[in-house]
Parts: sequence; C-alpha cells; structure tokens
Amino acid sequence: MLRPLPMKLVRLLVMTDDLPQASLTLAETESFHPDLREPEEQKLSGLPGRDYHEFYQQARSRLEKIAKLVPVTEAPDIDRIRVVYHEELAATNVLLRERWEQASRFEEGFRHIDEEERFVRDQEAALANFANLKIDLGTLRNKTRFLDFYVGIVPRENVGRLEGAVKLADHLLFNYLQRGDSAHVVIVGPRGDKESQLQSVLSSAGFQSLPIPQGLDDASPEQKHDEFARRREELQRERERLRAELAAWESENHDLLLDARRTLILAEPFVTLDPSIRSIGTLAVLSGWVPARQVHDLDQRLRESLMLPFELDARDPLPAERALVPSVPIKNRLLEPFAKLVKQYGIPQYGEVDPTPLFAITFLFMFGSMFGDVGQGAVIAVLAWIFRAKLGSIYLFGVMAGLSSVLFGFLYGSIFGYEEILPALWKSPIHHPILMLKIALGYGVLFLVTACLLAIYNRVVIRNYSGALFGNHGVVNLIFYLALVWGGLNLGLGGEFGTAPVLLVSMALGALAWYGWRHLDAPVGEKVLVVFIETLETIIGYVSNTLSFLRVAAFSLNHAALSIAVLTLADMMGMTGHVITVILGNVFVLVLEGGIVMIQVMRLEYYEGFSRYFSGDGHEFAPLKLRRAKPVPAQEAAITVPDTSTSTSAAVAAMPPGGT
Amino acid sequence: MSATSQAYLNTRVTAMSTRLLDREQIQALAQLTLPELAERFELESVLDEQLPKRAKSRAVEQTLIRVLLAELAVLIRPMTAPERGLLLAWGRKFALFNLKTLIRGKLYNLDQAEIRENLYDLPDSMRLSDQELLRAENVLELLRILEQGPHRLIARQAREVYEQKREPFALEAAIDQRYYAELVRQAMQFQGENVQSLQQLLGAILDRIDLLWLLRFRFSYRLSPSETYYQLVPSPKLLHRDRLLELANMETFEQVLEALPAPLDKLLAGSTSLIDVQRRVGAHQHAEAQRILASGRSGVARALAYLVLRESDLMVLFSLIQGRLLALPQELIEIGIELTEPNCPIGGFVSAA
Repeated sequence: MLRPLPMKLVRLLVMTDDLPQASLTLAETESFHPDLREPEEQKLSGLPGRDYHEFYQQARSRLEKIAKLVPVTEAPDIDRIRVVYHEELAATNVLLRERWEQASRFEEGFRHIDEEERFVRDQEAALANFANLKIDLGTLRNKTRFLDFYVGIVPRENVGRLEGAVKLADHLLFNYLQRGDSAHVVIVGPRGDKESQLQSVLSSAGFQSLPIPQGLDDASPEQKHDEFARRREELQRERERLRAELAAWESENHDLLLDARRTLILAEPFVTLDPSIRSIGTLAVLSGWVPARQVHDLDQRLRESLMLPFELDARDPLPAERALVPSVPIKNRLLEPFAKLVKQYGIPQYGEVDPTPLFAITFLFMFGSMFGDVGQGAVIAVLAWIFRAKLGSIYLFGVMAGLSSVLFGFLYGSIFGYEEILPALWKSPIHHPILMLKIALGYGVLFLVTACLLAIYNRVVIRNYSGALFGNHGVVNLIFYLALVWGGLNLGLGGEFGTAPVLLVSMALGALAWYGWRHLDAPVGEKVLVVFIETLETIIGYVSNTLSFLRVAAFSLNHAALSIAVLTLADMMGMTGHVITVILGNVFVLVLEGGIVMIQVMRLEYYEGFSRYFSGDGHEFAPLKLRRAKPVPAQEAAITVPDTSTSTSAAVAAMPPGGT
Repeated sequence: MSATSQAYLNTRVTAMSTRLLDREQIQALAQLTLPELAERFELESVLDEQLPKRAKSRAVEQTLIRVLLAELAVLIRPMTAPERGLLLAWGRKFALFNLKTLIRGKLYNLDQAEIRENLYDLPDSMRLSDQELLRAENVLELLRILEQGPHRLIARQAREVYEQKREPFALEAAIDQRYYAELVRQAMQFQGENVQSLQQLLGAILDRIDLLWLLRFRFSYRLSPSETYYQLVPSPKLLHRDRLLELANMETFEQVLEALPAPLDKLLAGSTSLIDVQRRVGAHQHAEAQRILASGRSGVARALAYLVLRESDLMVLFSLIQGRLLALPQELIEIGIELTEPNCPIGGFVSAA
C-alpha cells in the first residue's frame, strides 16, 4: 500500500492516417494518460487540420444546448467502436446546427410566454393602480389633439436618465409604480415634431408600452381580473402546446440526436489527444503515462487495431519527471469517501504515500472517541443510510463515522447521553478524565511519530537523503521529539528529565542548527537570529502539536458533560417536558457538537498529519476514456441512478483530462 | 481600510508611480528604434517572433494590458471588498472590449478563430466565459448567456436595446453607458476622505467622456438632444445632470464649448475640432489624475489615479511601437502620442464634428 503503482512513459509513433484509430484504441484500454509536454524534437509541429477540433467543439456545444431542452443521454451504449472521420464530424456539426436552430425556436417560444406572463402581471398591477386614480382613463388610452401619452414599463435603472431625456423633448415622466426590476411610468407632453425623437429614446430605454385596459371605466375590477386570469390560462395552454410540440420534435429527432452523441463520444479521444500530438510529414508522435503492468496489453491492442506500422516504446520516469507522473488512486469502495476528503487537501505525488487508508483509520478512531454514544452514533449511521441516494458515495462516510461512534458508545456505556442504561464495556470518560487525557497524549505522540516516519519515507523514496535526515520532520527531528517525549515521561513519573534525553535533545538541536546555518546565505547576525528562532520553533512546535491532541480527550469529556447538562434540565421537567428536552438536547448535541468534532478531527488530520508528510501537489491518473454507458452494479444502481441510460454523474466522472 | 493597510497601499502606489513617464521621458522614448524599445521594455520575445505586423502589434498590446492588470492585481491585495470592487470595475473595461469584439464577430458572422484572435487574454477575475460565448450562434444568444453571469445588468440592458433597435451602435453605447454608470455607482458608495478624491478623479474621467460623447453624438452622428442625453452618464464633478441637459439641447459645437463650466470653458476656448477637444480634455484628465496621485489622501483614489496614468503611458508606448512597426514617419508618430500638435489643416473636421 505504501508503494505507488509503477508507471511508464509510453511514446507512440504512428502514421497520421492511423491517428484516429490509435486514439480510439487508447481510449478503449483506459490506461493512457496523455503527456502534454512540448516535444524535445524541434522538427515536430502541431498537427494540421485543427478544424476537426473546431467541428467537434462546435457540434458538442450545439448538442449540449439542445440537451438543455430535451433529454439526450450523456453516455449511450455504443455497439461498435469505429473511427469518426473528418467528413462525418463535419456533417454531424451541420446537422446539429439545423437541429439547434429548430430547438432554439422552442426556447424562444417559452421565453416569449414567460415574458407575456410577466406582462400580464404588470398589467394587473397597473390595473390596481389605475383603479385608484381619479382621472378619465379613456383620455390616456386615446391620444388627444394636443397631448401625447405613453403608459408603460421601463427597467428601473433607466428611469432617471429617461426622465431627463423626455424633458428635452418637452415631455414629463411620472413614475407611479415600481415592481421588481421594472418601473411603471406615464409620459406626457405636447404633440409635435419632438414625438419622433422621443420614440427613439423610448426604444433605447427598453420602454414597453402598457395598453390601458378597455372598458376600465364601466367594468368592475373582478371582471378585469377574470380577463387576466383567462389570459394566463391561455398562456398556460400555449405553454402546454409548445411542450407537446417539443416532445414530438424530441421523439422525431431522438435517434438522430443519440447518433450525434455517439459520434461525438467516438470523436472525443482524438480531440482530447490533440494537444499532445506532434507530427512530421506523415508521421505522428504522442506520449503518455501508462501503468507498467498494462503496457504489454496496450501494445497488443494497438497491433490488433492499427492497419499501418507503428512503434511503441516505454521507459521508467526520470527523477526530474516525477512531478509530471500521475498517481493512480487507491480503488476501494469503503475508502472512496475518505479519498474525497484527502483530495480536498491534494493528490499524492508519484512515489508519495497515499494517506487515504491511514486517514480513514485515524479519522474514525478520533471521531468515535470524541463523540462516543450508541444512540447518537446510530442516528448518524441511519440518517446517512436513509439519505444514501442523495449523498452518493459519501453516505458510507456517515455510516462508518456513526458506527465508530456506536462502538465507542458501548465502550463508554453511553446511549443518548444516559450513562446508567448500558454498562460501560471499558470506562466512562467523565469518571476518568485524567486517564483520558493521558491516552490522548499517548495517541498524539504515536500520531506525530507515524507522520514523521512517513515524511522520512517519502523523502527516501525520491533519494532526498539530506532532507530525510535533517529536513522538517526528518530523522533528526524525530530523534529530538522522541528524546523530548522520553524526558517528559521521566518527569511525569516523578523523576528527572534524564541525562540521556538531555544529551539527545541537545545533539539533535545542535545538528539542526548546524544544518540550518550551512544552508543560510545571509550575514552572521541574521544567521544567528534565524537559526535561534528556527530551533526555538522546533521545540515549541513539537510540544504544542502534542498538546493539541488533548482535544481528543477534551471532546469526549465535553460530550459527556453536555449530555449531563441536557439530562439535568430534563429532570427538572415533567414527563412530557423530560422527553421533549431529551430529544431537543440530543438534536442540539448531534448538530452542534457533531459538527465541531468533525471540524476538530479534520484539523488534526490536515494540520498535524498531512502538513508533515503529504505534499499533495501530485495529479491524478485520468486516462483517456470513451464516455459510454457502463454496467452499474445492481446495488449501486438502485442507490444512485434509477436509469443508468441517462446518468450524467457517470459521464462527468468519466471525463478525460482536459476534456471539453 | 485599516491605517496599516492604507499606509501600505499609499507606499505601494508611491513606489509604483516612479514607473510613470514624464514628458521628457516620452520625448526620449520617441527617439528610440524598435529594437531599442523592445529591449528597454523586455518585449524582444514578442517582437522577435516571425509573425505578421498585425499579430506583433496585437501581441504587444496584449503584453502591455497584462502588465497593467498585473499591477492592478498587486494594488487590490490590501484593499477592502468595496475598494477592490471599484478597481476591478475599472479594469472590467478590457472584458467589455472582448464583449464588443464578440458581438461584432457574431454580427458579421466571423469565424470563431478570427474572433478568438482578437480577444484579450484576461485574468480570471475579469474574464468572460469566452469559450461559451464564442460558441453562441448569434448576438442574442450571446447576450442571453452573458445575462447568467456577473455582467447580468450590462447584458440585459444591451439585449433589450438590441432587441428594440437591432443595430450595433445602440448596443455598444448601452454597454459603455452601463460601464461608466456602474463605476460611478461603486465610487459613490465610499465615505470619508475617499469620497472627495474619488469624486474628483471619476469626475475628471466622466467630464472628458461626456463631453466627447456629447459632441460626437450631437454633431457627428446627428442624434437628437433627447437621444444624446440618454446615452450620457452624469458626472459627479462638472458635467452633472442639469448641465448635461442644458448642453445636449445646444444647437452648435461652438455653443456647447461656450456654455461649458470653468475650467473647461477656458481650457477648450478656441477649439475647432473634436480631435482638438479630445487632446485638451485628455490633458485635463491627466493633470487631475496626477494631482490626486501626488497630493490625494485616499489610498484607493491614488491607486485608481495611478492606473489611469499608467494605462495612458502604456498606450503611448503601444502607439510608439505600432508606429515603428508600420514604419510611419517620425512626425506622424509624435502627433499620435501628442508630443507635437498637428499642423495640417483640419478645418474640414469642424463641420463633421
């Protein structure tokens, strides 16, 4: 588990005519992570025929826009893997342009209905206002011989400017209502030659004329509301009709769109590889990272699929290339949610220990010990299980954290805060606080020593021996720390710090100071200051980091203390009050303390653990893949996606590096 | 902003302001050859490449904009969110250049690659979602996509104008108008010593913009007073709302210049063309920015003044390099960077203006 999956740098030399087929085969094997470095050979140039790439991007964009209107399966079944040539891709692009033109009319139609609906709402609001006005609305509706009226809506932010602009055309603007982003205005002025200039300004301001309802004077408000309600129903019917038309269009074009999707999926590997392909004449070269054990298979598959000769050579990564080699993540269903949390910090660099298993174990241990309660742990586990469809793979994290809490609950004898119901299989923290603190301190020492050992290992594997010896959390640091712990233990047992620990601490600090001094390029005064501060920081750092683990015990005590507080409050109530207080108290403890414990554990993991040994600056192995539907395990399918044929998450997860 | 941050910002601005060019330095630069300019401003890699002149010119412009935006990024580091917002709003003009390029490209059905070539490469904080916008099939779709992002207001306004008028001028005018209105709105949120300096600086910027737009719209494009006024953004300094209403209603170029408030009236007295006005009012804005940079107390106003001046310097440098690239006569280059006044008769422009 400590060693990474060995990788090889594969260089593939093919004839350019065979490139599309080679790309497909590489995608099929799902073992080729493209190397996007510029080639060392100056003669190689970027592949001509960039329009393949352009066609693909354009067609893909069109299909995605259509897919926002009608469902188009993200990863359909592909019966036959075949090469998509330039002409087919161009034809698909043209076809999708036509289909998008048709589909966009539906989109515009829906938008038009929405705007109409908004307009009806505005009219209703206007009606409510007009009804209160003591003026002859018939006059507003019909322009008079001398006066010009405009009643309508403008975007709110334009009112100020429009007011000034109409003033220059000898008109007045009255803003009588503001609704959302719109302002309802009446513009009035003399009829004449300035009317035409006003029209231009009104259209620049996005003015929308609001017809004054006919018969407002004699019709009751209820009648007018009925009219608006009818209009809304009409719009609703229009929307339904448009939906039906869209559905008919979808069923008419379903197979065609699906075929277009398949074509794009088959064209995608070549497009994805495009930046890493270099060519000279009719020869093309591409390189990428392949797990060592899959190189032979890859060679075989290429021999079977390529018509023209090719050459494949593989070599181990050079030390200088280490940062470029992708790391293959550990595949384990139980570890998957923990891997996601590790990924929040970073991806292990090639050769570096993947901290996921250690993280999972220590996380569960710390969470359970800090939040040990059979009832509350069970609630966490059950809730995670119930909401597994929504939570995705992270639900396992909740289940395991809950079960860890249950386990420690049995050890502590605590269920929903009651400590008298269950017998403690071990000890109750609140009754043994000193013991808990001692164990937490011991655990902290163990945790930090393990972290230092991993830091040393990570440097040794990349042959950074001086870093492993003298670097941060290296061997000398570890000796210093262990000696410090030894001396501390002596003091704790009532004795003296001890000569051997003192000697070891002094020697380790001396070695660190000497190493720091040699590597500093500064005046003597500054060197003295820096070395002194760094040495002091080493001492303070290790002491404070160890004490930091006292929080593991502190939270187990805190949990018990909070529960006691809740139960004391409950005991002061009657029967009903008791039950309600216990329930609410437990909810409070679950949400608040559960959240805090989670944060504290993450802090210990990230800060005290990862920062010591995990650089996290690697990148994940993301091989070229075809985004076709894959058989989903029955249980998983039941949990996450009811219809695998329309799974988007699967398609997104299968996106190749730099995918579009 | 805390006193420490303010002190840090002021020190930073003062240190950076040593990069600004004075007239003598510009005169000296104007005498340099293209390789000397390239060496002086570390542009060899851009200018030595085997590229067409247009591509080289474009690469130089892109490099200079990158320099300006990198300095903007340094300046906003110690700032509070509203201060940062103001400077980023100012820098967003480059994103709007891209937007206009995209709109023009879509209007004239240009190839995606051609449009892409003319887009500036901007930092993430200012970048539009170029790829998505490039793939829009037409202007309306482009604006609808844009409406879903941080440029919602500008895009909405532009779309409404475009839907009503279907012409690029109205669309671009709406974008520019919205940009300056947003800049003023952000500046007006400040209080204390910031507000006065910012009012002075933005006032000088808006006074220049308003005057040029007003003269251009009224007398070159022959727009009505109402339409002209509608496209303007009231300045927080001289050309405020009422004055713009009054000026937009004037019938001739000369009447507008005569009706200007002090000190613009004296400054522009005798101007005969829009180019002349542009030069003089530009110099006025430059002097105001220099004054605020030298004696202003507000860190954010000084930072903005620095950026305004720096942009102007970089554009002078760009004009100089472009002139050399195109092998223009020295005299023409000096006119272009306003070292010498044009002595050719340009009276014909008055009527055009």
